[in-house]
Amino acid sequence: MQPKSAVLAGAALLAASSSAMAQKASQSAGNRHVRNQAELLKVLQNADASRKDRADALRELARVGNKGCLKVVAPLLQDEEQADMARYAIEPIPSPAVDAALRRVVAKGTGRPLVGAIGSLGARRDVKAVPMLVKKLDDADAQVAIAAAKALGSIGGAEASRALAAALPKTTGFAQAAVVEGLFRAAESLADQKQTAAAASLYDALAKGAPLDCVKKVAAERAEALRKA
Amino acid sequence: MTGPASIPEGRAETATTRRDCLKTAALAGAAFAAPTIVPARALGRDGAVAPSEKIVMAGVGLGPRGQFDLDWMSAEPDVRFVAIADVQKSRRDEVKAKIDKHNGDQDCKTYADFEEMLSTRPDIDAVLLATGDRWHSQAAIRIMRLGKDVYSEKPSSMTVAEGRAVVDAASRYGRVYQTGTQRLSEGPFRQIIELARQGKLGKIHTVRAHIAPWDSADLSHAWLPEEPLPPADELNWDAWLGGCPWRPYNSGYTKGGWRGHYDFHTSCIGEWGAHTFTQCQAGIDALDTSPVSYGYVKNATGDGMVTTFASGVKMVLQLQGWRGSCGMTFEGDEGSASCADGYEKPDVSSPALLAEGEKLLAEYMEKTGRPMNHVRNFFDCVKSREQTVANPEVMHRSMSAVHAANVCMWLRRDVQFDPVREEFVGDAEANRFLTRGQRAPWII
Repeated sequence: MQPKSAVLAGAALLAASSSAMAQKASQSAGNRHVRNQAELLKVLQNADASRKDRADALRELARVGNKGCLKVVAPLLQDEEQADMARYAIEPIPSPAVDAALRRVVAKGTGRPLVGAIGSLGARRDVKAVPMLVKKLDDADAQVAIAAAKALGSIGGAEASRALAAALPKTTGFAQAAVVEGLFRAAESLADQKQTAAAASLYDALAKGAPLDCVKKVAAERAEALRKA
Repeated sequence: MTGPASIPEGRAETATTRRDCLKTAALAGAAFAAPTIVPARALGRDGAVAPSEKIVMAGVGLGPRGQFDLDWMSAEPDVRFVAIADVQKSRRDEVKAKIDKHNGDQDCKTYADFEEMLSTRPDIDAVLLATGDRWHSQAAIRIMRLGKDVYSEKPSSMTVAEGRAVVDAASRYGRVYQTGTQRLSEGPFRQIIELARQGKLGKIHTVRAHIAPWDSADLSHAWLPEEPLPPADELNWDAWLGGCPWRPYNSGYTKGGWRGHYDFHTSCIGEWGAHTFTQCQAGIDALDTSPVSYGYVKNATGDGMVTTFASGVKMVLQLQGWRGSCGMTFEGDEGSASCADGYEKPDVSSPALLAEGEKLLAEYMEKTGRPMNHVRNFFDCVKSREQTVANPEVMHRSMSAVHAANVCMWLRRDVQFDPVREEFVGDAEANRFLTRGQRAPWII
């Protein structure tokens, strides 16, 4: 196997000469002063700040920010150019105010800002978002429906589970694949909460209606295991 | 909004892009189908394999390392590559030519979007995944959701959360996954892993893991200068970035220059730690956990960082100490053993350990049925449905150690990690690094 390792090392050494190295000295993560939230918000409020400056500020907010940043960052959640980095900044901030800001995007947004906000609500497991996400399951924009299915699965609970189970036979292709993924997530969550009957019923739905044989097999095995437990 | 005068890619990726339209069209009509592996290795008397018995493979993102893997895999008699997906047309064409030459035909199909490829090709059983680091978990998860097994190059996750998502996907979809930590399947390395595991070095107190001598843990946030975006059919820059934060196009990124950048790379620690942490953890039977403490060292690389497992065994990160790359050393109270690339035989504290290592290697292969050929182990498991030697949990635990070590360096202080809860202990600042917001629509 020696030649394989030699090739690996060679490829990596080649990378050592990459232009990234030349850029590192001035803009490396460790050498940079860690700015506080007030400094970062000042950048975001500066009309002359470049997209790079704004992206850097939002990235740093993900590390140091709190709900106080929302007055500046929340409006960016619907800005086509800045929405992703705005979510990057606030997604890890543990405050209900962040969930509320993301729900406002779901209520009004379209396109990628909407898809992103749905994804963030799923990552944050925002139970209050379930009703509006259920309505997005049959959205005309397939990416919105896909994001909603996965988010509902991450959030879990009875209402989300019912909606996903109902969506399984009504969807096809990637939209159905997202519903399958959502059902797995919801079932695992229910099982973790010792709601074994409810979890088993979701696995039954997958075993019966999933498009892939590998999914049917795993789902049937998990349903059986839950009933035996 | 004030920004660069021209950001065509940024504009192009907003709202509904061409890719979104294509994907939406595919979403409606994709014919999902499970692969059809024949569950037995069936070599004929002449060594030939019936077409129906072959594992049908596709490649995703095959650059230099991926094409090395392609050659390695193509040499297996029961493997046939039939398709390649890559966001770069030049790469697609390059790999197609390579596959067609090997197969002696012109049948390899090319795709710009791997999900479209996999959703419309029920004949494909498994995928060789060798994109840049940023796409490894993202693509592996999507590949498994489409019912295919996956061999993923390393480092195989960008965050702790991504690694866990790979484990979950393999479990949910019943898929076989192998990460490319091939030294777990190389004789000299496996010999000292077994010497350590079987107590031949006494009680192990320290293991030493090699980290890469280029780049640093001090990853860059710089953007390379913007260049004109190539035509969409030459390169889909939006898809190249995937879930990573947007930045303007520069051709350097697509030629390996993504290394060293925070958004795309796991640092000098991940570059080799993906291998060496796994190797070290294998020798102390710690493949289901990660170190619990990480001691900050005041340098740019993590050289000398001492990490400690709950068992008390220390794993030390080192830039030097071996004659080759990706080295590891086990130190016990009765002996020591060391190995790196280029070692025909391991370095051992007592000559008797060499013979003992060879014996243990033979016993390991006999007991586990695992060959000293990492890709063969993957293909055997595709057929048997058993766990590979570098299965998702193995990958996730060693990569969690990589991520925790990086966070230690980024925060410039010691950190404590709980491998059960998979979070830093009482450390809200460090826990902000467990996951990263993903760019829409590439949210897993």
